[in-house]
Amino acid sequence: MKITETIFQDGTHKWVAIVRDPDKPNFLVDTNEYLVTHGGQGMLLDPGGAEIFPAVFSALSSEFDPSALAAIFASHQDPDICSSLALWLEFNPKMRCYVSWLWNSFIPHFGGTAETFISIPDEGMDINLAGLTLRTVPAHYLHSSGNFNLYDKVAKILFSGDVGAALLPVEQNGLFVEDFDKHIRHAEGFHRRWMGSNEAKRRWCERVSQLEIDMLCPQHGAIYRGADVQRFISWFDDLQVGIVKG
Amino acid sequence: MTTTAVATTTRKVPRAGVDLLRIVRINEEIKRVVSVSFKINIMALNAIFLAKRAGTAALGFGVLSNELRVFSQDLRNCMESLTDLIHGCVGEVSIVLQDIRFTRLLGEAAQLAPKSAAPVILAQREAENDMHATKLAQLRNQLKRALEDAFQIVELGGVLAKSAKIEAAYGQSFAAPLAQVSGEFDGIVEEIRSSLESLRRSAFFTGH
Repeated sequence: MKITETIFQDGTHKWVAIVRDPDKPNFLVDTNEYLVTHGGQGMLLDPGGAEIFPAVFSALSSEFDPSALAAIFASHQDPDICSSLALWLEFNPKMRCYVSWLWNSFIPHFGGTAETFISIPDEGMDINLAGLTLRTVPAHYLHSSGNFNLYDKVAKILFSGDVGAALLPVEQNGLFVEDFDKHIRHAEGFHRRWMGSNEAKRRWCERVSQLEIDMLCPQHGAIYRGADVQRFISWFDDLQVGIVKG
Repeated sequence: MTTTAVATTTRKVPRAGVDLLRIVRINEEIKRVVSVSFKINIMALNAIFLAKRAGTAALGFGVLSNELRVFSQDLRNCMESLTDLIHGCVGEVSIVLQDIRFTRLLGEAAQLAPKSAAPVILAQREAENDMHATKLAQLRNQLKRALEDAFQIVELGGVLAKSAKIEAAYGQSFAAPLAQVSGEFDGIVEEIRSSLESLRRSAFFTGH
């Protein structure tokens, strides 16, 4: 079973990280899921693949009633992002799934009906969660061609999807980045290979530099906080991406 | 989810997978029968022309050739309905396969979070699974009945082919070519019969 850790709380406004399942088979990439709650409503960010649904569900249930999940935010279309969609919908068929307009006819192959999906335009949009405004931040081509991050201005948290992701060795399983230089080695190969456009990367760096961010939460690996957030943005800005060795 | 329920789900997976494979094989056999019955249609048309050339000596043969054309069309219609049923079965087995996966995942979730809504959702899912399993069983029975109908048609085809053989003997100077054609009819009908026999023996119907 995964563990949950509250990374932000102010009254009913909470961010819960659902991470690190010791029982997960090694052939499945490790993923982080995040639950945002506000005023009794919840939104699950990148709920994960179908095979890890039991671990995510049970962890989430310990914190929140799954049938009160109002929405899912899918940063992009990959199976490790949202192939569990149909299973979450069993608990609340009225739940909505926010996803780039690019994927709103692709993701239904994982489940849902026409009413389930709310398309996010390329420039992004605001999502209202019981009075809390969450901003979808364009991150196209990083790595998916229709890709969004989610920014919470109040919590000063940016859910960055695959940006900032690191494929960490099993023994390095801390929730937060403790030693940036040591950590970033596990992120470098991923960013070089998965991210396809230096121009898109540049724009993203400019865009997020304007945001006030206390925590940058990727879908894989550890969370950057404090000064490590800007350190990461600068590191990423300097990195040449879209490269295949050999 | 109880240990027994987990075990039942695990057992269902290979069964549904094997069912899908059996359905694919049945469909291939049906396609073969359709192709052969089309051949009968062409042969019967040629046989009608041959009977016309033979004149009064092959009047009976001509009537039978015409009946064989009707038989070929009836058989193709019957096979079309079998194909529709097969497609229905593929749809249901696919749903059953997905149900099995989702039931397993919901079962694991219910085990890890027994106090959550998961056990209730799991029970609903199992009820739906039973509904799909029942629908598949109904389709299986319909398919079996449609196969028996095909057998009836082929029995008639066999009688027609054998009668054509007898009629060929009265074909005077055309007796040899008429005998050859009627022999080919008989051979093809036997080929269809053997295909249907193998369908009848399919483990999809017998269960073993």
